[in-house]
Amino acid sequence: MSTKRKRTISDIIDAYFDEFERWAEEFEETVMQRPSWNLKNCTMEPLREMMVAPTEVVVTVDLPYTNKNSIKVKPVSHTSLEVSAKLKKRIRLDDLGVSHCKGEFERFHCHVRIPVPVNMDDMSTHFKKGILEIRLPRKY
Amino acid sequence: MSEQVKIIEKKKIPTGTTLIFGFPDVGLVGVIAASHLIDELNLTEVAYVDSELLPPLIVLHDGLPHSSIRIFSDHNILLAVSEVPIPTDVIYPVMNALIDWGKSKSAKMMISLSGIPIQDRQDVKELKAFAAASSPEMLKLAQDKGIEVLTEGYMVGPQAVVLQRAANSGPPALTLLSQCFFNYPDPEAAAEVLKELEKIIGLKVDVAKLLEKGEEIRVKARDVMKRTQQEMSKMKKGQEYDIPMYVS
Repeated sequence: MSTKRKRTISDIIDAYFDEFERWAEEFEETVMQRPSWNLKNCTMEPLREMMVAPTEVVVTVDLPYTNKNSIKVKPVSHTSLEVSAKLKKRIRLDDLGVSHCKGEFERFHCHVRIPVPVNMDDMSTHFKKGILEIRLPRKY
Repeated sequence: MSEQVKIIEKKKIPTGTTLIFGFPDVGLVGVIAASHLIDELNLTEVAYVDSELLPPLIVLHDGLPHSSIRIFSDHNILLAVSEVPIPTDVIYPVMNALIDWGKSKSAKMMISLSGIPIQDRQDVKELKAFAAASSPEMLKLAQDKGIEVLTEGYMVGPQAVVLQRAANSGPPALTLLSQCFFNYPDPEAAAEVLKELEKIIGLKVDVAKLLEKGEEIRVKARDVMKRTQQEMSKMKKGQEYDIPMYVS
């Protein structure tokens, strides 16, 4: 039999802001057309996907042209992660066939929202063929 | 509906060739393979698709406008390629127009280059390739060349239209599929499918450069992959993962 922990005011406020942030992200994805890169921060957004399994959440992130030791995965809240990885060398917009503006990228960066409660402390990562796999055990 | 899609010819079109399709799909296998064929064989643009059914989009190359769906040729092949995903609701008219045009040029065979998604693709060392065909004769051709047949399953997208049309009214068609990522660009899978193409039509293509530049291609192809994911979601591409229930 499981015991349910009583939610504190802080938990409720956190949940409210998480919900608002998720709504804002969904709104931005669907309504706003934005590039997959940020020249100010010299970052590109990687492709990613998520699978919610009965016992864990598996996130994969496509990080080509990066080295394993440059990858950083940082929990930023109970429900979100920040992933970044440095490119093997800087890539200029010219290299990607863009000539109407100047700029270059030095890393991939993205924010990943986890839709169910997980144990961030038990997170494990694995990097193979340029694909980062993040496994997060689910919390019940 | 096909009359709403025109194929505009820019040069004399060779007849009796193999018509190959490389469109954005799972792992961008078809379009990466097609792009490598164009570079490696120095193919030239001979025709393009013009249709008001397509989104108001052009591709700029050297400052000049080009259709997003173009046909290249040389080495006894015609290669239809799209740099952006074909919108789901116009796949039928566009593919029907391309097939009819291929028939009018007496294409001897049609081959779609694509992928078949697998889970944990990153853990797979050697990719396997499969073939599906419009007729038992075409299946035998693939088997005789050592290509495994995709016996059961679902196929979604332009290559499904090609096989269906070819089964009804020719020219004979084959789809070559390499195991690949679903949502990530997969140059290794593109190289694999080109090796299978060589077995079928004897066209020697060096894939070393494709493999060497694989990581750069993956960086460059992110946006096309993202747009392709949206179209794949609309056409229910995930159905290819489904366990088939064949009703005999």
